[in-house]
Amino acid sequence: YTKILGVLENIPKDAAYRKYTEQIVNERFDLVKKESDVQKLQDKLNSGQIEEVILQAENELSLARKMMQWKPWEPLVEEPPSNQWRWPI
Amino acid sequence: TVRPKNEVQQKQLCAFGEYVAEILPKYIQQVQVTCFNELELLIHPDGIIPVLTFLRDHTNAQFKSLADLTAVDVPSRQYRFEIVYNLLSLRFNSRIRVKTYTDELTPVDSAVPVHKAANWYEREVWDMYGVFFANHPDLRRILTDYGFEGHPFRKDFPLSGYVEV
Repeated sequence: YTKILGVLENIPKDAAYRKYTEQIVNERFDLVKKESDVQKLQDKLNSGQIEEVILQAENELSLARKMMQWKPWEPLVEEPPSNQWRWPI
Repeated sequence: TVRPKNEVQQKQLCAFGEYVAEILPKYIQQVQVTCFNELELLIHPDGIIPVLTFLRDHTNAQFKSLADLTAVDVPSRQYRFEIVYNLLSLRFNSRIRVKTYTDELTPVDSAVPVHKAANWYEREVWDMYGVFFANHPDLRRILTDYGFEGHPFRKDFPLSGYVEV
C-alpha cells in the first residue's frame, strides 16, 4: 500500500483518479494497521479472502503505473461525429 | 406486462457511471443507462486498452471477466462498425458494456493483452466483419470456409452469398 501511495504522488493533484484511489488505499491501510487478527480483518474489509485482497492491491499498483503513462484525466481526445451514437438511426 | 422499475439499482448504476466518467474523461464520450438497468460506456477507439485495464484492475470496478466481444454494422454512418465489449464483475455481480467505433480500414487495438478470452472473439469479428485488430497474435479466419472471400456479417453481403454451393 505504501508503494501505491508513492506512485499516486507522481500523478497531478487534481485528477479524480488520484483522489478516489488514495481514499480507497488509505481506508484499507488503516484497517490493516489496526486489526491484527486475520479473521476479523477479512470481515471488516468485506471483500473476500486476504489473499484476494493482496492480489487486488497488486492489480491496483500495476494500474497506477499504467495510468502514469496514459494520463486519462485530460479532456477528450476527439469528439464523435454527430450521428455516431444516435439510435435508432 | 412491463418489467417493474428498480429505482435503487438505476441510481446506483448512474452514480457508478458518473464515477467512471469522472476518472477517465480523456476517452469516455458518453455514458448511458438503458431502461432495463444496463450501463454503457461509449469510448474513443484509442482508449480501449486503458479503459479495459482500468475496469479490470481498479478496486471499485473489478470487471475481471470478458463475457462478449461483438461488432455492429451500421452502414449509413461514417464510422461504420461499433465494437461492443460486455464485461462481468464477479465480486460485485454487475455487468457493463463498453462501445467503440471504427470505420472499415482503421485498425483497432486488440484487447488480448487485457483479457485472454478476446482472442477468438476478435478472430470472429475479423472474419465476419473485416475489422482489423493490431497486436493480435494469430489473426486468421475462424468461421468461414478456407477460400472464402468477403466478410459475411456486413449489411451489404447478400444472404445467399456470392458463390453457389
